[in-house]
Amino acid sequence: MQAHIISLLVEDHPGVLTRMSGMFTMRGINITSLTVSPCEKKGLSRMTVAIDGSESELEKVRKQLSNLIEVVKIVDLKEDKAVIRDLCLMKVHVKDSNARSEVMQLAEAYRAKIANATLDSIIVELTEEPKTIDRFVDLMKHFGVKQLFRTGVTAIGMDTGGGLER
Amino acid sequence: MTRGKLKGAEIVVEELKNEGVEVAFGIPGGVLLDLYDVLYKDEAIRHILMRHEQCAAHAADGYARVSGRPGVCIATSGPGATNLVTGLANANMDSSPVVALTGQVPTAAIGSNAFQEASTFTITMPITKHNFLVTRTEDLPKVIHNAFYIANTGRKGVVLVDLPKDVLATKVDVDLHPKETFTGYKPKIKPNPVQIKKTVEVLANAERPLILAGGGVISANATEELRHLAEFLGAPVVTTLMGKGAIPENHPFSLGMAGMHGRIYANRAIGECDALLAVGTRFSDRLTGWQLDQFAPEATLIHVDIDAAEINKNLQVDIPLVGDAKLALQDIIKWLEKKKTTSPGSVWVQRIREMHSACEECIGDVRREGASISDMLIKEINGILDDDVIVTTEVGQCQMFAAHYYITKKPRTFISSGGLGAMGFGFPAAIGAKVAAPDRKVVDIAGDGSFLMTCHDLATCVENDIQVVVCIFDNRYLGMVRQWQELFFDKKYSHTGLGITPDFVKLAEAFGCYGERVEKPEDLKDALHNAFESGKPAVIDMIVGKEDKVLPMIPPGGGITRMIGAERCKPI
Ligand SMILES: Cc1ncc(C[n+]2csc(CCOP(=O)(O)OP(=O)(O)O)c2C)c(N)n1
Ligand SMILES: [Mg+2]
Repeated sequence: MQAHIISLLVEDHPGVLTRMSGMFTMRGINITSLTVSPCEKKGLSRMTVAIDGSESELEKVRKQLSNLIEVVKIVDLKEDKAVIRDLCLMKVHVKDSNARSEVMQLAEAYRAKIANATLDSIIVELTEEPKTIDRFVDLMKHFGVKQLFRTGVTAIGMDTGGGLER
Repeated sequence: MTRGKLKGAEIVVEELKNEGVEVAFGIPGGVLLDLYDVLYKDEAIRHILMRHEQCAAHAADGYARVSGRPGVCIATSGPGATNLVTGLANANMDSSPVVALTGQVPTAAIGSNAFQEASTFTITMPITKHNFLVTRTEDLPKVIHNAFYIANTGRKGVVLVDLPKDVLATKVDVDLHPKETFTGYKPKIKPNPVQIKKTVEVLANAERPLILAGGGVISANATEELRHLAEFLGAPVVTTLMGKGAIPENHPFSLGMAGMHGRIYANRAIGECDALLAVGTRFSDRLTGWQLDQFAPEATLIHVDIDAAEINKNLQVDIPLVGDAKLALQDIIKWLEKKKTTSPGSVWVQRIREMHSACEECIGDVRREGASISDMLIKEINGILDDDVIVTTEVGQCQMFAAHYYITKKPRTFISSGGLGAMGFGFPAAIGAKVAAPDRKVVDIAGDGSFLMTCHDLATCVENDIQVVVCIFDNRYLGMVRQWQELFFDKKYSHTGLGITPDFVKLAEAFGCYGERVEKPEDLKDALHNAFESGKPAVIDMIVGKEDKVLPMIPPGGGITRMIGAERCKPI
């Protein structure tokens, strides 16, 4: 098992997201996250799909994706050749001032922002690689995570692959 | 080309004509009034009114399989579209090019649970190659063109176009007959020369090469190439159910269908070969059985398929070769001929010939000891039908008797529901087949259970003078399921008895068809003669043994070389 990130350019048609997610369900593929956003070209959208699986499963996913008519381009992004980010918003319980300052120190160490604070909780915001976020979330569990939101990964290749540039 | 303002419905019909559509099978409804109004005025497209939308889809599918051109079916919104679903899933599973047009409630009403609204677009997404929900009349030319282009290229399949009422009714100025396609859709046709070289290397050095032909060979019109390669290489050919007809089954190198209900020698050849060239097949479990280590254990596996997603999906292969079957076979032949001289005298060829004659002997011997009435009937049919007759089948024992014993001699003359296994397919598919080839005889080999699922379309046959002959294997059972209950569930026939089935002869007559009952296999010849001579659509009710079994078979969980019920086959 390994985490894979696939970056797709797809035609911006209604239903294309349903078609994607339907394909994953139909083929029994488990995805960890799926994000859709506009891209540099009008009429196309970018999708970033994260899956956990073996190389051969990745290969199957790639092939099934390329069979979808609206998929224009597929790139699988290798960790060392891509900038990979996830955004996390988390409400952490702080039972006293001690806890509060510890949370704030840890947040600073991770370069997370304090987005809001109340008497008994702090909302922290962190944009980082998913693994770093995982570690940060684990730390915060120590204080009590009341709510956790993550956008799912988005990623950009360092070389030309994935974009429309040549 | 501009033509001034056109209604959406007129645009649809103009584009259909431009795609070469001559026939459509359908049923109208409220949201399709504009479309049917155009079909009424414009006689270029023959519309055949079916009695159930499932039959419209199956008929379009049968038409496509026989003609090699996309079949077209039409259904209204809501129930019309949901009725189409089985037929579309069936065609798509068997990679048959079908374009379905469905009516939809007006765009403004979509999502409001309007009368006869169903989300056809989302319902049909997983059972089509692609589908469209058209929201602007201006988009119609491009959508219709792409529907046909996508359905009929690459791995063929079903494309559905959902047409809201207002899109059909609105008048716009548009350019007709666009050429524009999708940037992301470029089917890979040309095989990779490196893979061709590897393939040729393996085949040239193989002592016991075998060719496995799937439906892709027929769909790519590559049957001549296949036969040539088999003869040059000295390789026997086994087929899948979908591949029946890829090589004439009376050819000395043909071993017939392999797989779960295949011929024992075909399966044995798979077990013995040292190189397997599989063309246009997806290695479904009905072919391979469930013990994959028994499937061609000694062979280098070469897999030719137009769909890259099929490579290594069901079976891990040694040499993948993605591309059109015809082009791939042509390339293989070209390079092989430079490398190798033909080897028709090898030990392997000798063995194939023996296996082939053992099969022929068994099939030719109509009254063979231990043969059931069902066996005998198909053997009898072999002697009656000429090579051009198109045989369709329903699903169940009747289908497997036909697949096993019927000697198919030409491509596109054996039409069966392979992937979906949909009871009720054979009869409406026969209607489509007859419409595609009006000068040829069409026979549906049916089960009593299957026929009752779609027999209402006898009305369509009578009304449109479509003379198909349905031969029912009347065993008063859902026979295939009963067979499994007999063999694997202690003969507990749970809900497989059909009880009092209708009098099929009277049923035929009630529709205005010809009907005849056959009690003894030897009477079939006259009955078929009478049926064809009647000039009417016909039903022949063939009384078979209630507990006839299709054997041999691979039992559930078993492997391809361990068939049960094979005692009757001569050991070689
Ligand atoms: C639409 C549909 N429903 C159920 C089945 C499951 N099934 C497979 S074969 C079979 C029996 C078919 O009976 P019949 O048409 O009488 O053919 P026989 O096997 O008796 O020759 C059934 C119920 C199916 N294949 N398709
Ligand atoms: Mg039956």
